[in-house]
Amino acid sequence: MTPGCLLLIALAGITLGLLTARPSARLWLAATLAASAAGLAVALWILLARATWDWRAFLPFGEPSLHLRLDPLSAFFLALLAVLGGAGSLFSLEYWADKTHPTSAPSSRFWWSGVLLCMGLVLLAANGMIFLIGWEAFTVCCYFLITQERQKRAVRQAGWLYLAASHAGMLCLFAFFALLAARTGGWELGPLRDHPELAPLFWLALLGFGLKAGVFPLHIWLPSAHANAPSHVSAMLSGMTLKLGIYGLVRFSGWLPLPDSAGWTVAALGAVSAVLGVAFALGQHDLKRLLAYHSVENIGIILIGVGFAMIATAHGHPLWGQLALAGGLLHVWNHGLFKALLFLGAGSVLHATGTREMSRLGGLWRVMPWTAGLFTLGAMAIAGLPPLNGFVSEWLVFLGLFDAVSAHRVALWAAVPAAILLGITGALALACFAKVCGVVFAGAPRSELVEHAHECGWRMRGPMLLLAMLCVAIGLAPVLFWRLVAPAAAAWQPDWAGAALPAPLIELSAFHLGLAAVALLGAIWLWRRVKRNGLNRAVTWDCGYAAPTARIQYTAGSFAGIINEWFDWILQRERHEQRPEENFPARAHQVEHTPETVLEKIVQPVAVAVLHISAVARRLQHGRVQSYLLYLLIGIAVLAVLVAMGGAQ
Amino acid sequence: MIYTFELILRLAIWLLLAPLLPGIINKVKAWVAGRRGPPVLQLYYDLAKLWRKGVVMSTLASPGFIAGPAVAWVALLAAAILMPLGPLGSALSFRGDVLLLIYLLALARFCTAWAAMETGSAFEGMGAAREVSYAVLAEAAIIAAVLALSVHTRSVSLVTMLSPSAGAGAALLAAGLFTVLLAENCRVPFDDPNTHLELTMIHEVMVLDHSGPPLAAILHGASVKLLLFSVLLVQAVVPLGNLSAPLAGAALAGGVLAVTIGVGLVESLLARLAFRRVPLLLTTAFLLCLFALLVSWNWK
Repeated sequence: MTPGCLLLIALAGITLGLLTARPSARLWLAATLAASAAGLAVALWILLARATWDWRAFLPFGEPSLHLRLDPLSAFFLALLAVLGGAGSLFSLEYWADKTHPTSAPSSRFWWSGVLLCMGLVLLAANGMIFLIGWEAFTVCCYFLITQERQKRAVRQAGWLYLAASHAGMLCLFAFFALLAARTGGWELGPLRDHPELAPLFWLALLGFGLKAGVFPLHIWLPSAHANAPSHVSAMLSGMTLKLGIYGLVRFSGWLPLPDSAGWTVAALGAVSAVLGVAFALGQHDLKRLLAYHSVENIGIILIGVGFAMIATAHGHPLWGQLALAGGLLHVWNHGLFKALLFLGAGSVLHATGTREMSRLGGLWRVMPWTAGLFTLGAMAIAGLPPLNGFVSEWLVFLGLFDAVSAHRVALWAAVPAAILLGITGALALACFAKVCGVVFAGAPRSELVEHAHECGWRMRGPMLLLAMLCVAIGLAPVLFWRLVAPAAAAWQPDWAGAALPAPLIELSAFHLGLAAVALLGAIWLWRRVKRNGLNRAVTWDCGYAAPTARIQYTAGSFAGIINEWFDWILQRERHEQRPEENFPARAHQVEHTPETVLEKIVQPVAVAVLHISAVARRLQHGRVQSYLLYLLIGIAVLAVLVAMGGAQ
Repeated sequence: MIYTFELILRLAIWLLLAPLLPGIINKVKAWVAGRRGPPVLQLYYDLAKLWRKGVVMSTLASPGFIAGPAVAWVALLAAAILMPLGPLGSALSFRGDVLLLIYLLALARFCTAWAAMETGSAFEGMGAAREVSYAVLAEAAIIAAVLALSVHTRSVSLVTMLSPSAGAGAALLAAGLFTVLLAENCRVPFDDPNTHLELTMIHEVMVLDHSGPPLAAILHGASVKLLLFSVLLVQAVVPLGNLSAPLAGAALAGGVLAVTIGVGLVESLLARLAFRRVPLLLTTAFLLCLFALLVSWNWK
């Protein structure tokens, strides 16, 4: 079995999936799972062997040739695509079943296969034209997946916003690849570090890929698209689509020469995205929108790592750059895994209760113990708590930053604020997920929706269990996964290929294993002790209040209230309230809403202004031939005057 | 074999000595107020009694209500194991262990907050919200303090970071870390462990519904955390690495005692702050640590 053979199997599986998506769900599932398995196998092969697979076919109509390449860096992303593709397709079979969605389920299966194929093509492309074709194709496939429920107005709006933002990014990429091709004389992609004149092109790539990755302030499309798409699609969007933006950035920053300020800019954008992403997440009351903002946060953490790797490259690539890059890359995997787990968990909640509003949920652990447990595990992982995977990658990035500080070079100026902001981000994420888990799964049900809820079936539980197990595995044995991350980092900067294990991952693995075992034993021990001493159930001790109701519980809004106030300068929360009045107050209410500040306060006014200007300009186009002749005459007269003036000089 | 023995000995020090600190604080407070006060060993008696008591659990709570305090307790002990003890050094030391320690404290915080939310009580939700919110600022201050030590010693492992003193910025660092100690351990002026008004509490209000062995785990964990911060503060400021082993041990013990008495004095002499002021004081602590960082950086 060679890599080519495995890729052929994956291609065959996807093609079979495309063909069987409409007639047979089971056959489609089998084909997609087989393709995912083959994709995962080839990715692991390339990573473990540190090999590069290269394949070229000349098409009958000349340029561009079909040139595919799988090196450790693209294999690293391909592995994530395979895992999420497989998990999501199994989940969708129950979540978006034919029975409940008779028309959209078959089409969603078709577009799902299409997305997998096109994303794979992007990862394999070693030719600018193929890259662009794959990029545009997966963008369009994603649009159809997002708008599965297009009878709803909100879904249509989210879809349009996604399409518009994606194509703005696409324009930048067109310019980027066209300029690249013009300067190098071909569409072939590969290391071009020795062309210093190419450095300014990096900014175009940053804009184009940053829009896809959802870097703050370019994230405008992200929250509504993630919230309104079916949950398995949200998992794919957040887990993989954003990561392709990161892939583009990492790929081309490794191949092209970088401007001096590139690393600083990327790290600064990362730090801003991380803190503001989680700040906006704390202001959300919609479960899936909240998770979407956490994607902005995690993309920020990844970019801090990548940015410091670029800074390291500018300073003779010391080893702390490798730590930062490896941390960032491992966070790509980790975020893909736990965010997909969280979105699938949110989907399971949505499936069971029909609402994404956290203020209508509560106490779900009783009816959905599996979902509650797995979601909480994902929440602990995303909050960066040991011994789970989120901590490992954040720890690697932290180590890179601290080593940069200890080196006492100019990078210290960037590393100190980045480390502090990363720490703040971790604490804010913890606050946010304490809120989500506490409000959605613990406490008393806030509406009757919860009482009619039910636990999801094995086809939804299985993928969540798989993702959770991967989160735990990376957390408990990071030293095993280092062998997969290091080749990807070495593909970015060949000088780091021979470096030994730069972080004490063996000690960390041992500590994590011990911690997990002791925590488990401790919990069991305490539980047994409680059982032996006698366990009585009683109503919650609400300081003597005898009849507590679900409505006096702390809500998501009040839980996040303190932190929201700190960030009100950017959140700009809108509040409508009617306070209780008079001696016997009858009605009182408070509604709070966090707007999409960047979209509603900046992008929309600009868009409206552009529309106004074009509306005025449109008056010139009215269809009267006489006027057009007049325009022509005026134009010729102006030209004549210009020519005459030029001649006079 | 010797390693296992040492580990057990070290655990025993943490487990057995930690509950002494709240007793000393209470004694100091009583002394300042002219009372006799509870015995120094009161917390030991309380823990022994709670361990034998039955548990009343809210009808809303899941098994996580018991597991939360257990995991939090284990996380705090794990953090204590990472902390070097003056001349004894550290049981387990590697690059980056200081970050692991900070995140273990975060794990304990998450578990306590989760258990508080289990009861569906508004008071406990309030406490959990305050705990996780103020911790953001405290964590920023701790990271800044760690960066200061890291710049000073060019190291990221606790043993080497804590063996010399913090250099020129030591006074600033001591002030900053002491403030963080008060905030993280719910002492006056951030929180009042003795108040009986639930609306004004942070940490105590989160554990209103706990009883029996889980409450014992929470109380013991809190005392371990207090000892942990005191040990960190003393080692960050006093250059124990330059002293001979017995002297260093005595200096560490004396330092911890001084910090404990200091907490008791602050508690006797200051009133609790209004909640609006808490972020301001924590920001001050953060700035103190940041200045310590700038000083040690310049000093190099």
